[in-house]
Amino acid sequence: MAALQGRVELGYKLSEDGASRLSHLYHSNPLRVLFPAPAPGEPPQAVLVTTSGGLVGGDRLDISIQAGEGAQAQVVASAAEKVYRSTGADCLLSLDLEARDGAWLEYLPQETILFEGARLRRITRVQRAASARVLAGEMIVLGRTARGETVTHGLLRDAWEVRVDGRLVWADALHLDGDIAAAIAQPAGFGGAIACATILYSAEDAAQWLEPARELLEGCAVRAGASCVNGQLVIRFLSPDALALRKDYGRVWTGLRARIADLPERLPRIWEI
Amino acid sequence: MSIDETGLCRLMAWLSPSFPVGAFSYSHGLEWAVEDGLVKDGAALARWVEGVVALGAGRSDAALLLAAHRAVLASDREGLDWAAERGAVLRPTAELGLESSAQGQAFLNTVRAAWPHPFLEDWAKRLKEMGHPPAYPVAVGVASALAGITERAALAAFLHAFAANLVSAAVRLVPLGQTDGQRAMAALEAPVLAAMEAALRRPLDDLGSSAPMVDWTSCRHETQYTRLFRS
Repeated sequence: MAALQGRVELGYKLSEDGASRLSHLYHSNPLRVLFPAPAPGEPPQAVLVTTSGGLVGGDRLDISIQAGEGAQAQVVASAAEKVYRSTGADCLLSLDLEARDGAWLEYLPQETILFEGARLRRITRVQRAASARVLAGEMIVLGRTARGETVTHGLLRDAWEVRVDGRLVWADALHLDGDIAAAIAQPAGFGGAIACATILYSAEDAAQWLEPARELLEGCAVRAGASCVNGQLVIRFLSPDALALRKDYGRVWTGLRARIADLPERLPRIWEI
Repeated sequence: MSIDETGLCRLMAWLSPSFPVGAFSYSHGLEWAVEDGLVKDGAALARWVEGVVALGAGRSDAALLLAAHRAVLASDREGLDWAAERGAVLRPTAELGLESSAQGQAFLNTVRAAWPHPFLEDWAKRLKEMGHPPAYPVAVGVASALAGITERAALAAFLHAFAANLVSAAVRLVPLGQTDGQRAMAALEAPVLAAMEAALRRPLDDLGSSAPMVDWTSCRHETQYTRLFRS
């Protein structure tokens, strides 16, 4: 299978009538974008689709989403992203989320599933104006758990960088390589978990949502915690049960968007499929 | 590991528990791990700390220390700015961030006062301009390089002191006898040196950690009801 280089560019603008609309669209194989009609009370929604059915070593996907001044948008993934075993090359995924003055940008992915021997390097870059708000996340599952498969070797690098008005304010980097089975088993490593996830809420008012976020986490069946660090609200999930984690993740996500942005407390239909 | 006696004495002073960075007040999430029953005895403690050193902050701090040390030796101002910026923003939680920046700032202030060096004065000014407090490993990397201490020696001493501080916290928290604490230290010698070797081989692009359990314990510690430690 030859390596693929896919790209998506999405831009949203606030129209004069007060509605947010798509203003820029570009996509190339294997990435496509669907635009389901948004449910009542929802901002415009874009659904990202990877048509190749999964990623192999050497593949490179660049996703770039921009919400212009005052615009609102929700971008979601259509399905879990599978990353197959690599014979050596890394699979590269980059996600750029830009939100200008007063914008609300929501990026809700589904699970990234790493197969045994997969090699993935992903970076999510958030760039926002001081008055913009970004709610973004990632969810990782090590192995096809329904088949009882685990990951013992490979590479996973999942990095985050947040810039506010151009200044780097927060970074995070999960870097898992070498003896992955040992890191999963290590009590201070993954502590037996094979699924982990992060929700980031980046905005000037992030600190005031720490307590509400902690209240939402009290109902979690999986290990979960929140912290407000360098002005970012960061919520982390960890579990040996990928399905339980997904359930808690979705519940906390909708609880947050409802409280923070007064949006409906529900997940996109595509999430339920 | 070859190091002259002056360098050895310097490292022993800088990374001793009595050096006024307040190390005794940080548990790096261990206080919650004990509360939650994850660390109940000396064996579990040694395994926990091995994970923190190999996969957690030990892994990322080692890379930052090396980046700072190498930048000083190479007179690479941009490289040093990069290490200072990364050290200041790479923060899993608020409390782990405080642990790094409060110790880093205290370390830098104390070394400037007791072992003055013109480079440290310039660097302190530069940090102020950048608006970043120095991360602890970055400050130790800079000071060691200026003192002519090799990166291997500085890194081994830094990781060892980090492990020793966690063991000391656990002796108070579990609680453990002093001898059990030292048994844990004996068991941690090889893992600390292995973490050092791994860090020396690792490319800077792989800066990061794989200890989500530590991040979780630190988040939980932030709301722990009764607590002795600041992290």
